[in-house]
Amino acid sequence: MRLVIAEDLFLLRDGLVRLVQAYGHSVVAAVDSGPAVLAALLGERPDAAIVDVRLPPGFSDEGLQAALAARREVPGLPVLILSQHVEQLYARELLADGRGGVGYQLKDRVMDADQFMDALDRVAAGGTALDPTVVAKLLGRPLRADPLAALSERERSVLALMAEGLSNAAIAGRLFLSEGAISKYTTTIFAKLGLAADDDTNRRVRAVLAYLGAAGRDGG
Amino acid sequence: MSGADRVVAAERGAGMGRFADGGPLLWPFEAVRGLYRSAVLVGLTFLQVAVGVGVGLGGARVVSSFSDGSSAPLVLRLLADAGEALLAVVWVAAAMWIVHPLTSRTLARAARRVAGRWLGLRFEVEYRTVPQVTRMSTRYWWDGHEYHKSEREARRRAGMHARFHDPQLHWDGVWVLVAGLTVMPVAALPLLGLAGGAALVAAGHPGSGAALVAAGLVAAPFAWRVFGPVAARFLGPIPRSRLGRRIAELEAVRADMTQTQAAELERIERGLHDGTQARLVAMGMSMQAAERLVEADPAAAKEILAAARASSFAALDELRSLVRGINPPVLTERGLVDAVRALALDAPVEVSVHSAVPARPERPVEAAVYFAVAELLANVGKHARATRATIDLGYSDRTLTASVTDDGRGGAAAREGSGLDGIKRRAAAFGGRLEIDSPAGGPTRVTVAVPCDLS
Repeated sequence: MRLVIAEDLFLLRDGLVRLVQAYGHSVVAAVDSGPAVLAALLGERPDAAIVDVRLPPGFSDEGLQAALAARREVPGLPVLILSQHVEQLYARELLADGRGGVGYQLKDRVMDADQFMDALDRVAAGGTALDPTVVAKLLGRPLRADPLAALSERERSVLALMAEGLSNAAIAGRLFLSEGAISKYTTTIFAKLGLAADDDTNRRVRAVLAYLGAAGRDGG
Repeated sequence: MSGADRVVAAERGAGMGRFADGGPLLWPFEAVRGLYRSAVLVGLTFLQVAVGVGVGLGGARVVSSFSDGSSAPLVLRLLADAGEALLAVVWVAAAMWIVHPLTSRTLARAARRVAGRWLGLRFEVEYRTVPQVTRMSTRYWWDGHEYHKSEREARRRAGMHARFHDPQLHWDGVWVLVAGLTVMPVAALPLLGLAGGAALVAAGHPGSGAALVAAGLVAAPFAWRVFGPVAARFLGPIPRSRLGRRIAELEAVRADMTQTQAAELERIERGLHDGTQARLVAMGMSMQAAERLVEADPAAAKEILAAARASSFAALDELRSLVRGINPPVLTERGLVDAVRALALDAPVEVSVHSAVPARPERPVEAAVYFAVAELLANVGKHARATRATIDLGYSDRTLTASVTDDGRGGAAAREGSGLDGIKRRAAAFGGRLEIDSPAGGPTRVTVAVPCDLS
């Protein structure tokens, strides 16, 4: 894959470059500021980008804003956002266009290289990779009179793992169930949430969106 | 109508001074009650006068003996007399100054109780409360004014400071002094009449003695009433100018802030010391063990390294929550409105956020309002039994306001030491205020308003 990496701390940027190169990817641009990352994303059109939320010059959320701006220009441009902290607010903004190809992870996750690269692959393939912390916060919310209330306990835990971006096979592994059982659960979930059967990845993203209660379920 | 009924009526009317409409039983009652009240008032007010007169007379006798029999020229003798008088005055002042902090508060409190019972006067008086002591990261104890080596010493000094440096105590001292010079002599008149009359009778002057006793009895119902106006003027809270009140407020705010700050630093220090630091040490030790095992037992070394990595995750987690408590990253990245939205998303109840803040407020104000809203939301989750809440952020008249409304059971109040009280104090540090509208049964609306400029 051709990657763009945006991180202002030299050591971390350098480490990320080495890591992705070790997994056989090439880095077309490694930048350290908000304007530079927007230019690199639009100029290079990478297969995926790893972007720190907080970047110079303002050290606010320049990285996130640049990623959102780039995705407005190039819909579905895969971006994996890294941060020292995770907020539901940011997750919603990233997912709001309903196109997938979005990841949002704590920087700590970089330390588990295999899982991190797996998340990057899922994002590049148009899926989602939300940090378990965000998903856990969502699970902590009270149920309201929304479609999610119709889901059973088991279906909700499947949906939660789906929100993290796991495939059916991976979810089966986590829950100690067969892949066939998971596929039945996902079908029920899609039906209960009223998601028409089209491209499966897109439907998974929209299931996550329904989970987040963000954009409407009738798009795509 | 029985006599007892009239007594009750007289009791009720005592405060307004109408007692002359009664029958034959009323006058003796009034006289006896007046004597009793006069005696109580003398008991409550004579102390400083007695100390002053006693030390003054005794001191004058002692010092005047210094120059007794001196045959110096007149000028020198006059100078010596003046010096002696001055010395006696100093002694009187010193004696009164020692007696004052030990007794004034008790005497003034007793006088207030009596004024409440006899005249229906109510006084709202606040004495200084003993502040909390805090352990600083330097291992010293801070009592709000000074550092101390031990907690006991800090508590003792904080207690003494609150007790003896209380402006209200000194105002109570003024009451004791003024009452000693006004209430005491007047209230003593009927008692003196009685005692003097009795002495005269015993000395063989029954005529004048009986007259004096009669005069004392006639004066008794009136003499104690001098208490009323003096009490109303001197027993209340210390009168202060507006500037003085403001200084007192600011002093309280400053003491609060130093306390909060110290507690906050201590929390951070403890978080770093018990959490991150300990974990880093453990990780270093694990790695050293792995280093030694890597050749002999690679599997065990791997296991240790995996544990060390898990430990590093935990350390990062702890650091993250610590940082959130100091300055939430989302506040830095997005400002107040989005940070409050992020809070609302994480709240245990459904929260909607409405904002009419056109720009970012100053950073310290932003943080103060953010933490206030965070605490209010936590309260909604903890106490209100609410199902939904609304946050309104607004800005007008150079004041930033944040209201949290919930549909819970109401009854919220800023009791001493409560969370709401803490928010109120922190808002006061910015010149802000807290408004609570929480009838029993709800809904509850709490508003924090802080003056600020928008950037």
